[in-house]
Amino acid sequence: MSGTKVLRSLLHELRLSSPNGCIKDSLVARYILDQYKKHQTTELLHCKARNEAMFLGQTYLTYLESLRKHKELYKQFHASGERSVRETADLVGFKLPTDPK
Amino acid sequence: ATPPKRFYKKTSILGSDDGFEVVLDHWKLKTPRGTLFTVRSEPLAIAVATEFDAQKEHIERSRMHLSALCFTAIDNPNNLSKLDMVNYLLNFIPTDTLLFQYEDEKDLQELQLSKWDPVIDWFNHRLETNLKKTTSLTPSAVSEGDKLKIAKHFQSFSLESLHGLIFAVDTLKSIVLACAVMEEMLSVEKAVALTRLEEDYQLKFWGRVEWAHDLSQQELQARLAAAVLFVHLNCSENIVKQKFNM
Repeated sequence: MSGTKVLRSLLHELRLSSPNGCIKDSLVARYILDQYKKHQTTELLHCKARNEAMFLGQTYLTYLESLRKHKELYKQFHASGERSVRETADLVGFKLPTDPK
Repeated sequence: ATPPKRFYKKTSILGSDDGFEVVLDHWKLKTPRGTLFTVRSEPLAIAVATEFDAQKEHIERSRMHLSALCFTAIDNPNNLSKLDMVNYLLNFIPTDTLLFQYEDEKDLQELQLSKWDPVIDWFNHRLETNLKKTTSLTPSAVSEGDKLKIAKHFQSFSLESLHGLIFAVDTLKSIVLACAVMEEMLSVEKAVALTRLEEDYQLKFWGRVEWAHDLSQQELQARLAAAVLFVHLNCSENIVKQKFNM
């Protein structure tokens, strides 16, 4: 993925994972933007530091994305927990002792 | 038992003599053993603070892989030495996923040849070893010379980084793949795809089950990405050093 795409996706993921959806003051957003500015201009064709920074950016993006997707999938399929006593009773057509006759 | 509730509003980091600490409101983060949490790398501290900030109502420790890796590295709960960890990794080689290939199904074999062999070749070239794949049930023999070279390579990692590397190897079930992704020869997604090669191949016939296959894929990617970040952020370029600009 190109640099700008990674940056946009990173900021998007950070916004999704932050508690109130606002990343203006977030430490990590500022750090990433600083890193991007730092590696923006280079006179070398293959800059090792820049490639490393790109790789780390992409890896962090994968991390955030995979965590989010895993949580969504888990919530969707596995998170409803145990059935309550009432639900189990309704399932088999029984009444609970607390129900009126 | 329900996980603990999020008890802090803001997270931040604090620089100290030994490195960087993470602060939750006004409490300093501590490891499960009670040690003060300190890391030498600023981006790593920021990432851990962000992980804590991303928790909603409850603190889901099982989803905070980067924090878990940092805690393990600081606490070293099993008291592992570098030698213990290198030996653990060395014992993995004979049963490395990429070295076990299946000849009887032609399509699968072609996939393995085209996708796994280049990574094995890269590994052999990079570490000057001669690891051979096997197509039977018995693992192929690894020469003592190769073991020494691989051990030497792992010894070059710091004690903290080795925790990350072991995490990666456990996730991928392969030393070859773990090294390839650490050296940026493969992306995290690619490495996970390669470790799941046979599974992906089988599910083309039998169908993809979202709540199992996708779930495991995302989990492997998250774990591996955390391991890679942890190892990279623990190496010297990301640690603050005083630089005198001429």
